[in-house]
Amino acid sequence: MSIGTGVYTRVGRRHPRLPPVSFDLTRGVGPTAIALAMGIGFWELVGQSAGFRFFPPFSAVLMRLVEMILEGEIIPPLVGSLTNLGIGFSVSVVLGIGIGLLMGAYRRVEAALDVYVYALLTAPSLVFAPILFSIFGLGREPIVGLIIIYTIFIVIINTTSAVQTVPRPLIEMGRSYGGNDWQIFRRIILPSATPMIMAGLRLAGARAVEGMINGELFIAAVGLGAVIARAGNRFDATTVLAVLILTLLIAFIVVRVIKLIDMRLTSWLPATQRGQR
Amino acid sequence: MSSADSQRLATGGGRPRAGRSLVSRALDSKAVLRLLTLAVIAAIWQWYALAIGGLLIPTFDGTVLAFIGLLFDAEFWRAVWVSNQAMLIGFGVTVAFGIPMGLLMGRYRPAEMFTDVYINIMLVTPMAALIPLIIMAIGFGLNARVLLVVLFAIPMVIVNSRAGVREVDPSLIEMAQSFGARERTIWWRILVPGSMPAIMTGLRIGLSRSLTAMVVIELLLIAVGLGGLIINFRGAFEPESLYAVVVFVVLEALLLITIARWLERRLVPWTREGVLAK
Amino acid sequence: MIEIRGVSKAFPGRGGKGGVQALEDVNLTVHDNEFLTVLGPSGCGKTTLLRCLGGLVSWDEGEILIDGRPVTGPGPERAMVFQSIALMPWATVVRNVTFGLELRGVSGSDARARARELIEVVGLAGFESSMPFELSGGMQQRVGLARALAVQPEVLLMDEPFGALDEQTRRLLQEELLQIWEERRTTVVFITHSMEEAVLLGDRVALMSARPGKIEEIVTVPMPRPRSAHLDTVEGSAEFAEVTSRLWGRLREWQVDVGRHRRVAAG
Repeated sequence: MSIGTGVYTRVGRRHPRLPPVSFDLTRGVGPTAIALAMGIGFWELVGQSAGFRFFPPFSAVLMRLVEMILEGEIIPPLVGSLTNLGIGFSVSVVLGIGIGLLMGAYRRVEAALDVYVYALLTAPSLVFAPILFSIFGLGREPIVGLIIIYTIFIVIINTTSAVQTVPRPLIEMGRSYGGNDWQIFRRIILPSATPMIMAGLRLAGARAVEGMINGELFIAAVGLGAVIARAGNRFDATTVLAVLILTLLIAFIVVRVIKLIDMRLTSWLPATQRGQR
Repeated sequence: MSSADSQRLATGGGRPRAGRSLVSRALDSKAVLRLLTLAVIAAIWQWYALAIGGLLIPTFDGTVLAFIGLLFDAEFWRAVWVSNQAMLIGFGVTVAFGIPMGLLMGRYRPAEMFTDVYINIMLVTPMAALIPLIIMAIGFGLNARVLLVVLFAIPMVIVNSRAGVREVDPSLIEMAQSFGARERTIWWRILVPGSMPAIMTGLRIGLSRSLTAMVVIELLLIAVGLGGLIINFRGAFEPESLYAVVVFVVLEALLLITIARWLERRLVPWTREGVLAK
Repeated sequence: MIEIRGVSKAFPGRGGKGGVQALEDVNLTVHDNEFLTVLGPSGCGKTTLLRCLGGLVSWDEGEILIDGRPVTGPGPERAMVFQSIALMPWATVVRNVTFGLELRGVSGSDARARARELIEVVGLAGFESSMPFELSGGMQQRVGLARALAVQPEVLLMDEPFGALDEQTRRLLQEELLQIWEERRTTVVFITHSMEEAVLLGDRVALMSARPGKIEEIVTVPMPRPRSAHLDTVEGSAEFAEVTSRLWGRLREWQVDVGRHRRVAAG
């Protein structure tokens, strides 16, 4: 019999799993499901009685969405939108993290750029759509450009902040063991900064979808936004709502995927800190 | 990388500062660095406009002149008023409804349980896509623009107010109870003042979202005010004025946020960890 | 006089885990004008007991009487001082001190006058308009003490009030607390996990064990009063050593018992 039996327990898991579904109505999935169900029910009722003008019932919207998918008419715009989203978001992530790291690490770079980053972050990004349009004309480029404008500044600011809030004692510890700049950066700063960078990416994900839709609404030529715009012009509320639901699904999936990558990369964080974000 | 830069990474030692060049010391000034960046941007811009150009690409100096011209134009200021009217009314409505809703949700679990999923949906919905529906429902007037402003701004105000209530130190509530405070007193003396930092953050973000909404609906569907000016200038091939209006919008956004931040510091001087700004 | 008779309280478990018996058949009498310290390890239920006394939390069995009247909630004759200090960060020192008074119906100017008196008593004269974030931990807790004293309670309930402070500040505040108390002789129930503090400050020390929380023993502290003028001598005295070593002995016994049970259970 060993003295240590039962005294030490595993403090955490390396790959945290999602919590089990509980049927306790006050916790977890329960209230969300009920709230959604009630909302949909309400929608259905009001829709049926108010007629189809601008408040079609949920069933009609759902049917229209299924119809669009099955008949394939939604597929080309969907693919177009997702491609724009993918390109725009990737460029933003790579450039944004890069610039953010530079700004976080070098005070001069930060001093030079921070005013402009902040100005472009707080300004309504759609206002640059006409400018992009005038430079690139119709097509994919202005939309990708707009998605970049929507997302890159959030990524930069969060990355800068992430680097700047790496605890000094950790860096000093690295120095005391003789680490050079590159080693400190790669082995201390980068891992420490990852949680906050990922938080920024989650925000950016939602903004990217918003930028994609807004850009496509403005240019009104390609993608899901164009479908919404055209449907809106002919007062087809059912199609508008159907595509909107599709957009919400995309946004939900994008944020979810980022969260999963986040959990993988930061599996060393204690569970309490994870829940807070 | 100079010793000044590596101070970010180092423990604080470094070469002594005496004997560094004028250029090096000038580059330590924030103002100099920022102006330098501006100069670089202006240079690239001017080069692109002159070398490559295009019907809708104005020059840097052309834009600057157009901007100054706008400031003296009565029509312009009328457009500014038309736009901001919608924003101010919308923001007012947001504050009046969003804060109480957020506070109630933060304090009473049943309220939160029911509304949480809808708030989350609102946070990720591209509200601009609802514009056609809004127009269909209530037409093209001021009300439609106000409604969009509210839809853009209110989720953030609610979420931050809710977080504010939750973050109030529970021992403060207990302390008040130990002196015999009832729920009403706890609300007035503890919960509301305690949530103030978070509420102010929410208002700041909400203000920013209100400005965004103001511009978005004008660019997308109801071409009045500043958005309308942009659309018109594009149609009339006056890119200098177009860019000038864009610059104005960016500056207005900066101004409003700066005022909001200043107010935040004055009214709630005790610090708080904030929800990351959008 | 406070009488605690047969008080038990259990916290129900959640999500399949068992509950905790925070208090089990606690019996304790606190005499008027007595300084009673309650000593026990973390998590032994002493804070729960204090909150029961304060009327913040209910209990399952037994009764608590103050001067013969049962406790049903917070009351004007009791005031609490908290470990977390619990100052309103948005209010000045004066406003923080008048908080309790205002809740008890004392008018604005009267409240402020009394607050100023007490701010001086706790040694913070001149800091009336300061904000909590401008004060050190020790100064903040003095405000907490002033707030409690302002309502002129018969009973002062103190929940490890110096627990969050550093050693030096703690010693200073212990001395000052005794000074203030020696002038007023309010009844005090003082919770701590520090043996030295319990013996230094108290007339009697109630030893509490954990899970279930029970009062195991009450030890009388033989050192005479007043002590505040020469606390260091008190600490160096033979009586002090004797009492503390006796308490140590008891605590060690229980730890061994608990430890033995655990090892047997683990197999």
